[in-house]
Amino acid sequence: MQVLDNAASFQYFLPEAILGLTLLLILILDLNKELSKSRLIAPWTAGVGLVLYIVVALALRVQLPEAITFHGMMANDAFTDFFRVFSGASALLAIFLSMHSKELEGVKIEYWILILGITLGMPVLAGANNLLMIYLAMEMVSILSYIIVGYLKKSRKSSEAALKYVLYGATASGIMIYGLSIIFGVSGTLDVLEIQKFLVNNPVGTGRIALFVGLVMTLAGFGYKISAVPFHMWAPDVYQGAPTPVTAFLSVGPKAAGFAILLRFTYTALAQFNPETGIFTPLKYLDITGLMAVLAVLTMTVGNFLAIQQNNTKRFLAYSSIAHAGYMLIAAATLSSLALQGVLFYLIAYFIMNMGAFAVAIIVINATGSEELTAFKGLAKRSGGGALIALLMMVFMVSLVGLPPTFGFVGKFYLFMSVIQAKLYWLAVIGMLNSVVSLYYYMRVVKHMYFDEPEDDKSLGLKGFVFPGVVASLGLATVVLGVYWGPIVTFVQESAQLISK
Amino acid sequence: MLDSLQPLVFGMLALIIFISAAFITFSRNLIYSAFALLGSFTGVAGLFAMLGADFLAVVQLLVYIGGIMVLYLFAVLMTSGIGDVRLTNRSIAVKIALPLALVLFFSLGKLIFETEWFAQQTVKIAPTTAAIGDLLLTKYLLPFELVSVLLLSTLIGSVALARQELRNSKENHD
Repeated sequence: MQVLDNAASFQYFLPEAILGLTLLLILILDLNKELSKSRLIAPWTAGVGLVLYIVVALALRVQLPEAITFHGMMANDAFTDFFRVFSGASALLAIFLSMHSKELEGVKIEYWILILGITLGMPVLAGANNLLMIYLAMEMVSILSYIIVGYLKKSRKSSEAALKYVLYGATASGIMIYGLSIIFGVSGTLDVLEIQKFLVNNPVGTGRIALFVGLVMTLAGFGYKISAVPFHMWAPDVYQGAPTPVTAFLSVGPKAAGFAILLRFTYTALAQFNPETGIFTPLKYLDITGLMAVLAVLTMTVGNFLAIQQNNTKRFLAYSSIAHAGYMLIAAATLSSLALQGVLFYLIAYFIMNMGAFAVAIIVINATGSEELTAFKGLAKRSGGGALIALLMMVFMVSLVGLPPTFGFVGKFYLFMSVIQAKLYWLAVIGMLNSVVSLYYYMRVVKHMYFDEPEDDKSLGLKGFVFPGVVASLGLATVVLGVYWGPIVTFVQESAQLISK
Repeated sequence: MLDSLQPLVFGMLALIIFISAAFITFSRNLIYSAFALLGSFTGVAGLFAMLGADFLAVVQLLVYIGGIMVLYLFAVLMTSGIGDVRLTNRSIAVKIALPLALVLFFSLGKLIFETEWFAQQTVKIAPTTAAIGDLLLTKYLLPFELVSVLLLSTLIGSVALARQELRNSKENHD
């Protein structure tokens, strides 16, 4: 694979340059006194910038051949492009939700700038081909996340969540960079593809124990980002304390970016790819697929069983998101092209249904002011659009369980299929048993909405068609893509292409 | 001559770093911790100098000791009531943590001594500043630019957090 220099690489970085310029533009627009009075200028500028970002990224995906860019710093392949679109879309939806959330009323421009900053970090993390870039992009996503989690300064919970996030995050990134330094110390290179070359040409396994230790430490850093057990302790508190739109964003965007780098690292540095047969083989003396399988089982089981006991909507969704990270990890443990496609496919499904569930949660929290799950009681009977919102929530819940005819079902089907194809039957069985457990707690929300009486007679008070319309289209997408998912499969198949040599 | 001195110098620097790090962690007084950080930073600067990274050693002195240390001290001094932090959670589980930490320490130590590390064959002691400048604008241009975006956004974020506090306290005074 050709390594491009800085000048030739710039065209590959055009989308991120657009994001960076949008970020600066918001700052500059705010200097004008008249413009800075309007609350809408900054989020709209950010939104337009993000749409432009997605469009340019999609155009470049067709226009430019895959390449290693910036002297080996980035790998610009279809996989990176996928996460560009994914990050852009999740930020776009997060900005939309933030504009309609009462918690975030009257936020200043910094908030939108921080969201854009995180969005800039995510695709760079997904495409990082150098240990330095991995660390840097990871910090970019993390540090800015700490700030938006603690953005509600008047809320004690928000500040507490931010502090916990910083402490856990600093520890995790400290462990990760120590691990990276060990890998560098043995292999003598920072370049991920060079590391793979070193590992393949090193059949006797010089420094294999050190490599393994370094790898486990690095995985701890990745695991923290995707909230895999046992690095998940921060997630419930942070998700609960953060403003709800921020929680929705963190549980989708940065988590997907964490998965991206985990997949890139395991599929390029730690595996050998045969382009003719399309088979990934793990390195003999550094096979971590077993370890990943154990992590996956732990993650989904702990996530599901702890979700049962939750009474707070955001904590409940936090544990649910941990469980979903577990499902996606089982495919990461499989190491095959099908599994890679399965994870990307599931990420899209997870994006739609999870964002939808959070959007409904925002509507309910806006109306009742309560974050307890009991606020969902009798949602279908509330005036002001209760019946529609309850129906949509039911669709999202059914999809999160993974029942047909929803997109969540198809996603889980692809995931488990890749696991079965790799003959890891026990993993597939545990995954399915876990889905049964999740049925209980997701359906409890449905029971609250339809069979219980509301605790007060507050109206949902939905104004206009825009917010309900977007939530409804998420619900519609969940159902329609659950029946007709052909285009998504094609998109995912094209996207699961990593530069591996 | 130089080779035989190296382990001795390294040992002294490591001792300085270790003792100050222990002091930072275990001191109950934040001011003392902040001052102990000075020792740790100086030790690291010494390590850089020993490895022939002259530029990094000077930057470590200028930025960390000259800038960040002073900033820390100011932050500690200007924050009220930080001296008598009441710990609400004293359960740090020493009985579990200490053995685990010791096991980790000794196994990592064993690992470090037994591993065949990738070794740079010849270490030339030569000025590195020009080479670093070159690399920052060629091979490491992207990380360099990314750091600048990161720092800008972090700056904006910290201003956002601090500014709100000022406004709140003003409202309280009125």
